Amino acid sequence: MAAVLTDLAPHLALAVGGLAALGTAWLPRAAARSLTPVVAALFALLPGLWAVWTGGEASGMTRFFAGLLSVITLAVTGLLARFADRRGFAGDALYGLVLWSALGMLLLAESTDWIMLLLGLELASLCLYALVAARTDDGLGAEAALKYFLPGAVGLAVMTFGVSLVYAASGSLDIADSLAAGGPLVAAGLALALVGLGFKLSLAPVHLWTPDVYQGAPAPVAAFLSTGSKAAVAAALLHLCAEAPPETMDVLAPALVAVAALTMAVGNLGALLQKSVKRMLAFSSIGQMGYLAMAALAVNDGGGEAALYYLAAYALMDLGAFGAVGALSGDGPDRDAIESYRGLGYVYPWRCGALCACLLSLAGLPPTAGFMGKFLVFGAALRAGYVGLAVFGILMAVVGIFYALRLVATLYMRQSVEALPVLPAPTGPAAAAVLWAVSAGVLALGLFPGPLLAAIASIVGE
Amino acid sequence: MNVPLSHVLVVAALLFAVGGLCAACRRNVLMILVGVEFMLTAASTAFVGGALAHGNLDGQAAVILVMGLAAAEAALGLALLVHARRGGGTTDIDGYRRLSGE
Repeated sequence: MAAVLTDLAPHLALAVGGLAALGTAWLPRAAARSLTPVVAALFALLPGLWAVWTGGEASGMTRFFAGLLSVITLAVTGLLARFADRRGFAGDALYGLVLWSALGMLLLAESTDWIMLLLGLELASLCLYALVAARTDDGLGAEAALKYFLPGAVGLAVMTFGVSLVYAASGSLDIADSLAAGGPLVAAGLALALVGLGFKLSLAPVHLWTPDVYQGAPAPVAAFLSTGSKAAVAAALLHLCAEAPPETMDVLAPALVAVAALTMAVGNLGALLQKSVKRMLAFSSIGQMGYLAMAALAVNDGGGEAALYYLAAYALMDLGAFGAVGALSGDGPDRDAIESYRGLGYVYPWRCGALCACLLSLAGLPPTAGFMGKFLVFGAALRAGYVGLAVFGILMAVVGIFYALRLVATLYMRQSVEALPVLPAPTGPAAAAVLWAVSAGVLALGLFPGPLLAAIASIVGE
Repeated sequence: MNVPLSHVLVVAALLFAVGGLCAACRRNVLMILVGVEFMLTAASTAFVGGALAHGNLDGQAAVILVMGLAAAEAALGLALLVHARRGGGTTDIDGYRRLSGE
């Protein structure tokens, strides 16, 4: 009993934390306003502490993702605190949904069973659909939530059907056992399950919802869904690719190569054409997921370690980028047009500095975490023999440098600084601390990748 | 009298195709939701067929969970649609054009 409790401590912390956040609605309104984010942050911190210190008998993957999701949830809570309060959509439900969504992501990332995979994905997604529409006075949020919900529902249905085919062919719901059975029906089911994951991961032919949703969601929520849910779904993708028998992978690999190449192309070229910062970041996150699909292909040649490092780096830089967009926004709609960022770098040096660090990391320039991540991922792809794909990916990464530099250049343009359309609202201490921490993390992971890589190697080696 | 698994899977695949076509081709949000329900029902059918063929109850348990999942999803989807309509939207998916990059 005690062992079960230690193993499930992070799940319990997130589940109970969601309830506790809802429970703060009992308090007087003024007390609840300041207390709810604090309660949510405390419970979000617990899985991280568990991952570092105790860990119980849990697998290395569970500990890694408990830690990563704890960092992401904590950062999102910090970014939301003042942001949501000023814009009038803060409340107990907001933080409860964030914590429960994180619980779903954790279940999804660590799942070894198809049913837990489906339930974790659904729990994470349902909470996120509601979070996207959290800003109820804003019609864009409702539209974005619908546009997120419909592809998500279709993707989940495709995935459920794939799982049912795998089960019908193998008679087992355990991921490793059922995939080991092999055969055409299992391969077909696995392909459908991967299509379903592709919807959630916004891989190329089924990525169309992503820019609309990121543009319509409040910036901190966009940060959450571009980091937490992507990290968890990517973990499931890595797991499936690692467990699939070689003959099945031989059938699926050409399709995955095509998807990865198309995703990198669509993401990086699409980002060049955008006039909206949030859409640009959305296309950039599509492109990053293409690199991740490439790492998933090479999962048995060191791609797993590379992908885990890349996920951690990517989570930090997207949290920072969307967080900075939120911090630079006024009380009305989020600051979105690239033009409206002109010259802001001189007026708000710290917020824009954080944005710059994260953009340079997204572009993969040294000395940031993004550079190390890309380096590792391309190395793994080359070792696994996907030379053509790796070369194509490097070309696309070079294209990707331009969109990031375009926004950085806009931030430091001298002209028309006085014509600022809206003044940014105060960010609050929590969001400022998160931006500091994330920018420092992006640089630290790029300059000193050793400790994280050693931790990942010990996890994968288990 | 047992129906062979292959027959069950053919029926499930047909249901899935009907649902997929409905979700992909109809422009009405409600009809897309109906298509998704069809696809989930197809999965349930295959789960039940598999449970019968392999003689274990995992598939039956999965069906109950899929039902719960489908219900939760439909509830949230309809709530989102009501919310969006109150904000001036329609049930026609082509009526949502404010987020399109223009």
